[in-house]
Amino acid sequence: MRERMENALRVADADYAEIRIENATSTATAFRGKELDSIDASTSVGGIVRALVKGGWGQATFNALEDLESRVTEACESAHLVGKERTQFAGVEPVVDEVAAALDRDFRGVSLADKTSVIEAYNQIVLGHHDKIETSTVRYHDRFRTVWYANSEGTFIKDERPGVGILISATARDGDTVQQGFESVAGNSGFQVIEGNHDKAETVAKRAVDLLGAPPVKGGTYTVITNPKLTGVFAHEAFGHLSESDFVYENERMKEIMVLGKRFGPDILNIIDDGAIPGLRGTHRYDDEGVKTQKNYLIKDGLLVGRLHSRETAAKMDETPTGNARAISYAHQPIVRMTNTYVDKGDATFEEMIRDVKLGLYACDMVGGQTAMEMFTFSAGYGYMIRDGEVAELVRDVVLTGNVFETLMNIDRIGDAVEWPSVGGGCGKGGQMPLPVGFGGPHVRIQNVVVGGQQQ
Amino acid sequence: MMVTQLVEKAMKRAQSAKASLSQGESTQVSFENDKLKSVGSAQSTHLEVRVIVDGKVGSSHTTDVDDTDGVVARALETAEFGSPAHFEFPGPADAPDVKLFDDAVGPVTKGQMVEIGEEMMALVKDYNSDVLVEAGVSKNVGRRELATSAGVVHASEGTHFSVHVHGQWIRGTDILEAGDSFGWRRRQIDHRAVAGRAVERFRLAERIAPIRSGEMPVIFTSEGVNVLGYALVLGVNGKNVFLGSSPLAGRLGEALADERVSVVDDPLIDYASGSGQVDDDGVPRQVTPLIENGVLRNFLYDLDAAGRSGAKSTGNGVGCWPTNLVVEEGTTSYEQMIADTQEGLLVHDVLGLGQGNAINGDFSVNVQLGYKIEDGRVVGRVKDVMLAGNTYDALKNVAAIGDRAEWVWGIFGGASLLPPIKIGGLSVVAK
Repeated sequence: MRERMENALRVADADYAEIRIENATSTATAFRGKELDSIDASTSVGGIVRALVKGGWGQATFNALEDLESRVTEACESAHLVGKERTQFAGVEPVVDEVAAALDRDFRGVSLADKTSVIEAYNQIVLGHHDKIETSTVRYHDRFRTVWYANSEGTFIKDERPGVGILISATARDGDTVQQGFESVAGNSGFQVIEGNHDKAETVAKRAVDLLGAPPVKGGTYTVITNPKLTGVFAHEAFGHLSESDFVYENERMKEIMVLGKRFGPDILNIIDDGAIPGLRGTHRYDDEGVKTQKNYLIKDGLLVGRLHSRETAAKMDETPTGNARAISYAHQPIVRMTNTYVDKGDATFEEMIRDVKLGLYACDMVGGQTAMEMFTFSAGYGYMIRDGEVAELVRDVVLTGNVFETLMNIDRIGDAVEWPSVGGGCGKGGQMPLPVGFGGPHVRIQNVVVGGQQQ
Repeated sequence: MMVTQLVEKAMKRAQSAKASLSQGESTQVSFENDKLKSVGSAQSTHLEVRVIVDGKVGSSHTTDVDDTDGVVARALETAEFGSPAHFEFPGPADAPDVKLFDDAVGPVTKGQMVEIGEEMMALVKDYNSDVLVEAGVSKNVGRRELATSAGVVHASEGTHFSVHVHGQWIRGTDILEAGDSFGWRRRQIDHRAVAGRAVERFRLAERIAPIRSGEMPVIFTSEGVNVLGYALVLGVNGKNVFLGSSPLAGRLGEALADERVSVVDDPLIDYASGSGQVDDDGVPRQVTPLIENGVLRNFLYDLDAAGRSGAKSTGNGVGCWPTNLVVEEGTTSYEQMIADTQEGLLVHDVLGLGQGNAINGDFSVNVQLGYKIEDGRVVGRVKDVMLAGNTYDALKNVAAIGDRAEWVWGIFGGASLLPPIKIGGLSVVAK
């Protein structure tokens, strides 16, 4: 493969060119309700050529691997149509490397029957939990990708990227009221990640049933304590996306807002993106431009100290590449993405955070999150009212929203332990979804958060 | 055809089989931060085989057109552990007549696409040079083949052309984003009008208007109607109905909405994005009324969900999702709707749709682009506002339906043709 790719790159008439080819095998199986719903075993093969000419990009994606040279030529021709300026692309030392997958139990050696029987057990736990459980969805999926990357600077990387995960969801019904519980587990270290999750199945079913009897949270402004999973989503959605330099590098106004050294939160706040933490879903040795991943502080002691870069955004902002150019597959160009994003630990125990809250909300987990630059919205899976310093009744429909800048400044306590929930799903941006990412953090207390809900 | 050969291979062991092949060539040009950023082309191949062996379903797909033996073998292998089959693949039927291909799309050059993007960008910059613009133009020419063991042999060609323009306007720490887009299967698109609509959205948002918390009338623009459509699309999904997760299960014939509300799934509109002759099961596409004068009439089914529920496929395979969701126009003009509103909220775009308990009809969303209405006039854009309610309650509280529907992107693929809708009252929470 290396020789084919390097030969093809020789025809490139460009300031920079790269080829990324991917071969993937995947299996998926799912229960919905009592019956197995679907089962699938599939493969894909494809590639992308990117060429950079005078600051303009051309690209060509393909499923047919023959005649790589003509794809390179086509991408270069497109780039010539675009390029009118000067190419700015941060240099990195060329590398030749192979990254082999480290799997404790290789899911490729597990039979479809065994994969199905693991989730069948979870499905039975969900369905048998309570007579108010109406239906279930339990899915298993795995994917083993081999990615070859070669560029015109001499870098060649072969990277194996395995992933395996399950999703467990329960739907409970009482008359017209329908509620759902949801958990996912995913990782890149092997089949064992998804085994032994019977307790999660039980939790999902119980939550769906409990939520049937829970009132919707009353809309208003509250002191909110987020649990570690929600803290992670907050770090990712509310702030992390603003640290992605492709939002900033050619945007003078955003540059003024995201100026390094500016205060974004209290002294106790540290937010980090680190693509090199072993075992997490957002971890890779190299990003999709051949740049080594690393630990990047975004906010340190409340001040903005860094941001995430591709080689292009780094050069244009006169900063250093951070290893954050990522693509979900061969069909897409790499864009600036997070890897594993977290709020670092503070010093407060949960008891210290909650005891002086008269009326507040303990918001847990997440079922979704979205941002539009300064605005964010995320939905907690469930929540509890906090009354007179104690966790009180379960509430549903907990949607938190606000302005990122104000909300970060309103953080006043940070818990003393970081957790990394091994959840599945992924991040979406620029039509590329889901990209595996990790997120985590401790409990965090935020003042004056707008919580949506129907007024009663 | 390759697909008939695949079916033949599969039928050496299977009782029923289906194969499909999609191939496409597409081109897109992208503008970012006021300038042309990239030009790209894509060649794609997708091959899929589904089989029924000993009463069980298996499936496999690949992008490798040379892997015909592999894809059949894997489909047969998965069937061994597969889900029980509640259907057989269909036999030949008359494919409905609908136009999917415009021969004007193929010849459009990259240079012409760049010009279209430049013109849209210039129109937005003319309005206000502080708005940072991104834009895109894309075209696709594709071919699809499908065959079943019962004798369906289908081949069709399709095209698609689309444009979008989007701007970001930052004042202090306030960030305003707005834009517009249009896409269908024809080359002919008035891209200047698309840019004009984007500019109009910025104009209306120049001023920030305060809004109080409380119950008030809400007008959803055509795009905004997706807020209400989201739960409805989940609710009429035949699979969700079968599983009991849809709150509409068992309620066919019931009055669900104001009697002025009629909704139909129509895959037979010429050149619409969601149109097609045959679904991915090989079943002919058909027009399916979902709500007629407020009364729930039908659910959407694919072969599998229909088989499980003892219903008939409505040609919405695979997945029971709508193709082109069409809400029937009413009698009130959009302008009149606004003029008739003393105090209210005009909702164009939201954040957080589908989060929370969406299938139940509940929504609790952040108004990403919305406007305050006072004394019958749009007075400015609202900020930090949540809108909450329930689709099914709202559909019973319809104050007016617009007399002109517009094409917007479908939330679950396809497209939607929606008029603006005014709801008598919804809960608004302002910070």
